[in-house]
Amino acid sequence: MPRRVAIVGIGQTKHEESKGHYVYYENDFEASKRALEDASLTRGDLDTVIASGWDAIDGRTISDMHTCMAIGGYLKDSSHAAEDGIMALVYGYLRIASGLFDIALVAGHGHREAAIDAVTRITLDPLFARPAQRNYLITMAMQANAYMHKYGVSEEQAAKVVVKNRANGVHNPYAHLDSPVTLEDVLGSAVVAYPLKALDCPPESVGGVALILASEDMVRRITDKPVWIRGIGWAIESYEFGGKDLAEIPSLVAAAQRAYQMAGIKRPLNELDLAEVHEATSFHELMDYEALGFAKAGQGAKLIDQGATEMGGKLPVNPSGGSLCTNLFSASGLVRAAEAALQLRGDAHGRQVADASLALAHGLSAPAGAAAPTNCVAILERG
Amino acid sequence: MARRVAIVGVGLTKCSSHRRDVTYPELVHEAVTAALADANLKAKDIDAIVYGAMDPFDGVFAPERWNVDACVGAGALNKPFIKLTTGGTTGGSVALGGYYHVTSGLFDVVLVVASQRVGETLEAQLVLNTCIDPIYERWMGGGAIMVGANQAASHFRSYGTTEEDLAMVAVKNYASALNNPYAHLQRHLTVEDCLKMRMISWPLRLSDCCPSSDGACAIILASEKRARKITKTPAWIRGAGQITDNYYIGDRPWFQDWEALSILAHRVYSEAKIDNPLEDIDVAELYNAFTIQEIIESEALGFCEPGKGTELLRKGVTSMEGKLPVNPSGGTLCTNPIGATGLIRIAEAALQVMGKADKHQVANVKTALAHVWGAAVGFHVLMILDKQNP
Repeated sequence: MPRRVAIVGIGQTKHEESKGHYVYYENDFEASKRALEDASLTRGDLDTVIASGWDAIDGRTISDMHTCMAIGGYLKDSSHAAEDGIMALVYGYLRIASGLFDIALVAGHGHREAAIDAVTRITLDPLFARPAQRNYLITMAMQANAYMHKYGVSEEQAAKVVVKNRANGVHNPYAHLDSPVTLEDVLGSAVVAYPLKALDCPPESVGGVALILASEDMVRRITDKPVWIRGIGWAIESYEFGGKDLAEIPSLVAAAQRAYQMAGIKRPLNELDLAEVHEATSFHELMDYEALGFAKAGQGAKLIDQGATEMGGKLPVNPSGGSLCTNLFSASGLVRAAEAALQLRGDAHGRQVADASLALAHGLSAPAGAAAPTNCVAILERG
Repeated sequence: MARRVAIVGVGLTKCSSHRRDVTYPELVHEAVTAALADANLKAKDIDAIVYGAMDPFDGVFAPERWNVDACVGAGALNKPFIKLTTGGTTGGSVALGGYYHVTSGLFDVVLVVASQRVGETLEAQLVLNTCIDPIYERWMGGGAIMVGANQAASHFRSYGTTEEDLAMVAVKNYASALNNPYAHLQRHLTVEDCLKMRMISWPLRLSDCCPSSDGACAIILASEKRARKITKTPAWIRGAGQITDNYYIGDRPWFQDWEALSILAHRVYSEAKIDNPLEDIDVAELYNAFTIQEIIESEALGFCEPGKGTELLRKGVTSMEGKLPVNPSGGTLCTNPIGATGLIRIAEAALQVMGKADKHQVANVKTALAHVWGAAVGFHVLMILDKQNP
């Protein structure tokens, strides 16, 4: 049996278009400092730190030389997930569950020093995919297109996701985009890669996020409001793009199954109080509903039509505004976990879901887009 | 107490300047199938995968995605998979990652893979230079060779080490590599040969510096219950850890000594209950990217007093026939697929404990130590393996 692990500290920066003079790891620093303050801990209390992000995006090799120091790693046992920050959460969890560490800080950042379209293109096969100008976003558009046509989902239904999330983001003081949009705004925005229009796509945000994890023994000494990690699962998908049904996300199905099994969840739509999902695009939030078992295959759009995932609905999804409002390219998943944890502590203020006790956080780590994406699902519970 | 974990399978590939005979996924597949065969396991037996490669040295971004299907079909099977990168320590970091996957209690059998194709890069040192702070330290050509040369110069000045001492380290490692079919550099070398070699960065000559290689390595870790069923010769993890040193090279309080490594050794030896490393350890695989580092590592790891590493070498204590053979594989000095090199150190230490090192097997190995450094010597990883479940 793994040891029980809880989130005991949460730190985020304000996410925004630019942070002026900030070097990328200063985002990690600010978020980590806030997480330590939140937990009333100091750097000396940490046993281990896990950084995250991609060197190719950070523009330096061994980017964790800087980030691990910035998040308190000096003379400590550190590591670095070359993934979205959600996988740093996974690794921090494993280290504490093992019984070999008691307190871990995990962090991630987003910045705009790299041209994500250009860098993600070199993750793809040089003979077939690159000449077609494929990159992260274009693979996501191909998925959205396949999903739309397989299940008869309309662009308008996807646009409703944007309207919902942008409305939620208005109440999140950390959100990058904090203005509402209308259905007409979304449908009328410029086409980026069919069927994606500008407002169907997340922004590129600058900011940092950090969480502090602790073992059961330590939790009681740190906080009265721990958020327990009840279940966690992650899985990667095949790189072979041509042989896949792009309308489905099997790695997310597998990740959710593992997390649900560990947390003893059988009917997620009824049992969960909220979900923070890492929607790669508006269409992906609908696909995520299905892969996470909130709706049957092809029925995800019904939830948005019924308003079931709005604030006040049966299962509010992305009360924070989701990735469509705030998108740290290598830590958007970790932001989702931070936001879900804030909800369970009752600290989500204007975006608080009433009486939230069980939440799902989903992260997507996809440097090659829909080619070999990793999906991670964590089930969090109010302590 | 944490769950016990053992290495139950090891797979290495032949390393060379450029493995043009295989694609990248084929190279990874070579290591993975060798590890599975060694453990007599099938793809379906693997619960999770931990992967490491330092992308910037491959010249592509996120090669683990391209290689995911070569890792026991992880992608097709939607298995748990995580990529870790920490520079030269990547291979050590993924082994630690695998260790914590099993100790967590979530997984029983975990595949750990590391790979690198430095042959796809124009010049590894230019890539490495980008890790150095762009304003204060990058301009002076900071990187592995510069740091290694500074270590050597400081060791010369503090302890009277000579170029001939460095040459002796090279000769010893090159001779060992001749017995290792997976080693990259395989040639006979004498002290005289070394001293005639081209100077790279004083006092390091060509023979004092590791090559850059294409290669991959895979190991399989298993929980106590599973390990006993999988193999008769598990290599149990008795202690392990990582340490993070200051980012700015100028802020580090060493050069002739390696304080961060000493601190880590103290921690890991306490965990493994090792009081006298020279007595208690039977063989060591140290990350000797430069000859001088094997000497400094011997000191920092407590095989001898600070400044006495050269004496240890001259007395033959660290030779194949000595009391504590160091790098029977030929070490990093002869084989260096950067992100995979650390895992090769651990794999070689495991082979010694398992008694599977063939021509470079040290007799009667019970306890082995593996060391990895990376990040312009900012990070260290140590792992102690044992024939007996501790």
